[in-house]
Amino acid sequence: MEFLNFLIILVAAWLLWRRPDKERLAFGLLIVSCIIMAVLFLIGTHTSLVPGLNL
Amino acid sequence: MTLLSQDRMRTVLAWVVIVLIAVPVGGAVLLGVVYGESPCILCWAQRTSMVLIALVGLFVLRYGPRPRYIGLVVLLGTWGVYMALRHSALHLARDVGQGFAAPYFGIHTYAWAGFIHFVVLVAVAVLLVLLREDAPSYGPRATGRVGRLAIGLFLVVVGANTLQAFITTGPPPFIGQADPVRFSLNPRHWVWMYQDEVRGRISLRGSWTVPRPDPTAVEVDADPANGPLANLPVLDITRRLAITAPLGGTLTGLAHDPATGRFLAVTDHYGVYLLDSALSRVEHRVLLDHQYSIDLTTLAGAAFLGDTLAVLATNKSYVLLRLDPAADPDREWRHFRETDGGVTELRRSRFATERARQMYVLSLAYDRQADELITVTVPSPRHRRMVVSRFDRGDRLLSSEFEPRLGTNVTPSDSGRTLAEYVVTGAVAVDRTLYAVSAAYSTLLVTDLDTKLVTAAYAVPGIERPVGLAARGSELLVAQADGRIAVIERPGAGSATSEQTVRR
Repeated sequence: MEFLNFLIILVAAWLLWRRPDKERLAFGLLIVSCIIMAVLFLIGTHTSLVPGLNL
Repeated sequence: MTLLSQDRMRTVLAWVVIVLIAVPVGGAVLLGVVYGESPCILCWAQRTSMVLIALVGLFVLRYGPRPRYIGLVVLLGTWGVYMALRHSALHLARDVGQGFAAPYFGIHTYAWAGFIHFVVLVAVAVLLVLLREDAPSYGPRATGRVGRLAIGLFLVVVGANTLQAFITTGPPPFIGQADPVRFSLNPRHWVWMYQDEVRGRISLRGSWTVPRPDPTAVEVDADPANGPLANLPVLDITRRLAITAPLGGTLTGLAHDPATGRFLAVTDHYGVYLLDSALSRVEHRVLLDHQYSIDLTTLAGAAFLGDTLAVLATNKSYVLLRLDPAADPDREWRHFRETDGGVTELRRSRFATERARQMYVLSLAYDRQADELITVTVPSPRHRRMVVSRFDRGDRLLSSEFEPRLGTNVTPSDSGRTLAEYVVTGAVAVDRTLYAVSAAYSTLLVTDLDTKLVTAAYAVPGIERPVGLAARGSELLVAQADGRIAVIERPGAGSATSEQTVRR
């Protein structure tokens, strides 16, 4: 999934560079990428979402 | 003060993007490809967050500082700080020099990522403070030479990341790994998986979800016949005593001083009482301020260490006290909410454990021969173990820990039953033997502190809500929460058991 996420980021950056009129699409891809990144982190930490220390 | 125009701000931002993408992100790719250090699933998310912050920077370069860009970069910065805290917490408290993968400039990558996200937040704040309030211009515009360099570098570095991600994590549905293998261009060495990371139930605190026990209300099955050990001999209650001295709160622990005959009692209201040998008069008392300094949970254990009085809270925090006719009430005001003036606090600290970590205790004993303090854990839904921890009295650090094993004379009632089902609420050490009374199944466990074996176990029917255990001569005194004391003969100190046995 990290691979897919970097592909999405590359597409968003390419749109910025070559097709600046597609700002909404590029920003949408940026948001999707943020969500994938957050979900992957939460998958990796789902058995203890907060730091394993005394709170 | 010279404020930044939007054009100047874009140039500054382009350099920020170049540094961010070249140093931490580009450096991480180099580590992976050249040195073979692949990121774990959490490292990938931290690295991706830095890439996304750089991408937002490119959006600002192209379209100006739109509020949603600024909002998103602040979100990513705060999320990155959370990720660093969560990730670093796995390793920060380990021993010196220990961490996950190699450190760089003395700091591990997960900690670096936290620092970088923190700096990003600071940089955003500084840029916003310095940004001149021109009329906003949000249309696409040329990025300039530095901006083109930033975009080009971004595409190259992220492209390299994409290649590394494909090799080390694979295409969907595969995801990063907790323990990634080193980078290789040989496909036979590639490890792609997702099962390990999705295993386990969702939890907020994981193994730290441990309910705090209430020494006065331990909910257990008190019937010895239902316990994990079979054919227990019965120890009859020979007589009953009662604490008639007035105590504030419910009794939660009791100790006996063989030198003076006095008793030490603690209550759930943080009361510490030195009682006469008849249990009828309070000779000295203090009410600890449990909110001063370290966090004292409910007091659950007491012990005499010669002329020092030791009391223990359920979270393994302890207080050492000493009788002192010259005690200064004003100096002790910080320690005690109430005092009769004859007691000084020597120390207030915590016992640190390894095997008993994340487990509470409800008992404290003192082994005079070894000069060690002893605690016994109580089980929780997360941690079902009985751990005996011993602490050197000199420095109060852990001397040893063990999970008692069954001696040849003690047999489990079922193959699946273990000592961890007992809830030890009182303990006392005599002659290198640890006596521990369990509220669950009303059982007395006898453990040899040298062999670490439970050499005997006895059913003690008739005890109700035991909260403490004291030794007096050949007797054991089982203190109950209601202030009554069940007296039994101490096994090993003479003929103790009746003919009766508890069978299942």
